[in-house]
Amino acid sequence: MTIFQKNIELLRRQDAELAAKILKASGGTLSIHPAKSGVPTAVVKNRAIHSAYDPIREGELWANHQTENCQPGEILVVLGVGLLYHVEAMCSKLAQGSVIIVIVPDLSELADVFSVRSLEGWGDRICWVWGNPEQMALQVAQQASRFRLLTYEPALLIHPKEYDAFRSQLRDQLAEGVHGRLHIMVIGPIYGGSLPIAGYVVRALEALGHRVSWVDHSLHDPGYQHLNTIRDARLRLTVQQRFSDMLGVISLAHVAEDPPDFVLAMSQSPLSMAVLEQMRRKKVMTAMWFVENFRHLTYWQQMISGYDFWFVMQQGACLDAFKNAGASHVSYLPLAADPTIHQSVTLTSEEREELGSDVSFLGAGYHNRRELLPELLRDEWTFKLWGNEWEQAGRLQTVLQRNGERIDTPTSVKIFNGTSVNVNLHSYTSEGFDPNGDSVNPRTFELASCGAFQVIDQRTLLPELFDDSMMSVMRTPEELVSVVRKYLHEPEQRQSMAENSRKRVVMSHTYLHRMQTLLSIVGLASPDRIGGILRGDRQAESLLARSRDYPELASLLESFPKTDRVELVDLAKVIRQKGPEAKLNRDELLILMMDEYRQEKRDFV
Amino acid sequence: MPSWNADLPRMLIIQLARLGDLLQSLPVLSSLREKYPESFFDLLCPFPLESLGECIPGIHQIIPWNGEDWHVLAREWEDTFLQSFPHAVEYFSRFPSIPYSLVYNLNNHPRSILAAHLLGTRVVGAGDQGPLNTNCSPWVEYLRQVAYERGPNRIHLADAFCGICGVKPPRVLPGIQSKDIQLAADLTRVMEDSSTSKIGIVLGAGDNDRRVPVSTWCRLIEASAEHLPNSMCVLIGGAGEREAALALEDKLSPHYHSRLLNCVGRTTLPELVHIFNHCQWVVGSDTGPLHLGVACGARAIGWYFSRARVHETGPYGVGHYVWQHQGNGQSGNCREQLFNHHPENPCTWPINETIELMQGQGSSGGLSGWELWTGHRDDWGMFYLNEEKLDVAIAERKNIWERLSDMPFKQHSALKSHSINTGCSA
Repeated sequence: MTIFQKNIELLRRQDAELAAKILKASGGTLSIHPAKSGVPTAVVKNRAIHSAYDPIREGELWANHQTENCQPGEILVVLGVGLLYHVEAMCSKLAQGSVIIVIVPDLSELADVFSVRSLEGWGDRICWVWGNPEQMALQVAQQASRFRLLTYEPALLIHPKEYDAFRSQLRDQLAEGVHGRLHIMVIGPIYGGSLPIAGYVVRALEALGHRVSWVDHSLHDPGYQHLNTIRDARLRLTVQQRFSDMLGVISLAHVAEDPPDFVLAMSQSPLSMAVLEQMRRKKVMTAMWFVENFRHLTYWQQMISGYDFWFVMQQGACLDAFKNAGASHVSYLPLAADPTIHQSVTLTSEEREELGSDVSFLGAGYHNRRELLPELLRDEWTFKLWGNEWEQAGRLQTVLQRNGERIDTPTSVKIFNGTSVNVNLHSYTSEGFDPNGDSVNPRTFELASCGAFQVIDQRTLLPELFDDSMMSVMRTPEELVSVVRKYLHEPEQRQSMAENSRKRVVMSHTYLHRMQTLLSIVGLASPDRIGGILRGDRQAESLLARSRDYPELASLLESFPKTDRVELVDLAKVIRQKGPEAKLNRDELLILMMDEYRQEKRDFV
Repeated sequence: MPSWNADLPRMLIIQLARLGDLLQSLPVLSSLREKYPESFFDLLCPFPLESLGECIPGIHQIIPWNGEDWHVLAREWEDTFLQSFPHAVEYFSRFPSIPYSLVYNLNNHPRSILAAHLLGTRVVGAGDQGPLNTNCSPWVEYLRQVAYERGPNRIHLADAFCGICGVKPPRVLPGIQSKDIQLAADLTRVMEDSSTSKIGIVLGAGDNDRRVPVSTWCRLIEASAEHLPNSMCVLIGGAGEREAALALEDKLSPHYHSRLLNCVGRTTLPELVHIFNHCQWVVGSDTGPLHLGVACGARAIGWYFSRARVHETGPYGVGHYVWQHQGNGQSGNCREQLFNHHPENPCTWPINETIELMQGQGSSGGLSGWELWTGHRDDWGMFYLNEEKLDVAIAERKNIWERLSDMPFKQHSALKSHSINTGCSA
């Protein structure tokens, strides 16, 4: 009997259907060679999947490293098949009875393994999950409430899209099952484009049922702006930096006062590396949603190791750049809209008079806009230009509204609603359209959410967010006038497309969706802490079920409503409420003692 | 020390504050041993002070309390909730004798109160009414009031600890002796040189506002070298004061370097005990090492300024001196005022006056902004006199003791009330 036949026999006892499929699989995904140590190793497209010298030792090192963070009771889900040396090593490290799930996106790859590696003695401990990404994610979500994803990166590269899709599906599955309540601290910038986004994020997180503390540094904006009166540029920059550093320390004080489970900083928030290091020392998990073009604003490079999680609005080169710079977790998270703010509104006749027009553009005066928008100065339609940073606007001065003042959100919603054709040109510091233009700006989502029609310049990431039935996409700057003219004469088409885009936002592109995705990514990467809370592990009901060995503790937990999240501070509060005459048992005294140390903040800032 | 068996009473004393407070607790340890000679006493003290605790006579076992362990447990709880609870339970398995039949708790801090109730069946001192009861015994309340209101209090902290534990101030003051210490060769050479008198200079202080400027110490060392033949200044401090010590050496004229021994950051607490055992004098602000010097037998000259007050925390024992600065950190200021307004620190320092005291000349006095106080003891404990004048507040101590204590008081035969004895304590 060959190794392959023995392995198939073993597998048949676990999963007869899979065994039958492996028998039919073609194999040949892995190119197999002997390693220096004599055991087989594998190569795919000239990339080594295992060590060319000693794959067994390599697998052991991987397993040692991975198990450092594993918690008892977790089910381990391994991504990356290869020749399974790493899985075998993991089996030998874990106690009998622990479950290891291996995700199999390609049966041909598994057939290759079965041909050269004996699974005898450890293969029967593996639960094989196979199928398309959606099916696999569903199986994992159904089988395991507490699991930890372990990735064997070299083998992940064989089927990167399938694994990405699996992770994405799994996140969605988990997001649906979230019922725990986190305490999230959102730290905003002093000013700038990410400031309103911070507000939308706060609303979304609250709407999802989490407790949110918003550290709103825009309160300090007048003081910060006043520093512009310092004439010496170097001196001004130094003082501004000190000012910003102090706001970082203030953020730290807020964290100390009411420790969150998770800090979400928006781009431009004034958190220095020293502040982030202190948060890490205090075990506060941090994330940054970097809603900037990574090519233009590059301060992320200095901050990369400061955050546990990075969320960016660009893919491809951006994700690679962050990973190469040392980001431990970086994920794509596009912008969105808040339909409770960005919505259809009816303008009064006075508002329509001021804010309405055939064609409008709202945004800052970047170079490409200054070059292109004068094309819209025509007698055949009314054109209004809104927004700031339009000094020396030239011919555009005649259509610049409100003397180029900054337009607030409620007004911008009215402008979007009062305009027949909204022009949405992404910013670019040169002429025409940005040839590397990938990310989609917030205005795209906001216009769509308002049910307002827009013509937009082409962006590589746009098609996966909106399609051609939702907005008119210009491939070249030369199309601008003709597209505007076309749609100005097709009101029904405009309305239909705008309504499609609005529905798409409501279905997939609200800040609620983004925060669900963000939290499920963090929860997946931190299954014991954030993931546990999101699953409801900290709810009284769950805690009670796990506290049978401590009857005094259990009786305390019984005093909480079943779905309430219970932390040390809550237990301590209940104990203290027993009053001055109370005689406390050992467990109660221990809880109070730990709470005393939890409260200590003297070395926080 | 005889070994303990289960028939003998075993009690625990809790002192979780800093070095100075532990040393201010020596009198109550003595008094308790005088009152309960058959009992065994264990001491719960901060982990970093464990080695010093082992030098204190009459303590059966030192139990170190490691706050960092509890921080870890609290953090673990935040991370994993129930998984950390067994670890907290296990923490107490290290304590061999719990529950103690009686725990004396000297700290009015929630952690100490909780520790007292976790470790003992009956608590005396802070928290004696229950772990959640904010009512205090009269002595604890008195101390709390003094801490907040200050006022004309003349009860010394160490004696208040005695009151808290229901004992009188001790007849005999305990001393601390080092055991089997091997110092570095250069330190040993100086310590064993009986031809020199050693003056411990306590360089640093836990609080910034109690630090004496380095330049002032330089001037004192130079004055000692000039006016006290055969004297050697021994610079005392922890690792955090190394930079200051180097700055002092740098500032000091090379001419005087041979009269200075820099021990800063080079000694463990038991080694420091050994060094102080060889010092005739110790000079410093109101800090733990100053009180350690006193407990080791050195005669103290304290420079008390900022919030330090001679009547509450002056060196414990007869014959010690304190130069008390008359800044705004002194009597009559309530705690709130003190913390809202930074106390005024001295502009001049009693350098020559301190040298005169060490020369045995007494002080010519007259240093603006400073008063000289001398330590005395009687039945009601420690008190300090300025120009040897008794005042009403000193006599009032007897009434305070009687009001706050429910014990019958008799005078120690060896000590007469208000007797003035300028000899050095042991």
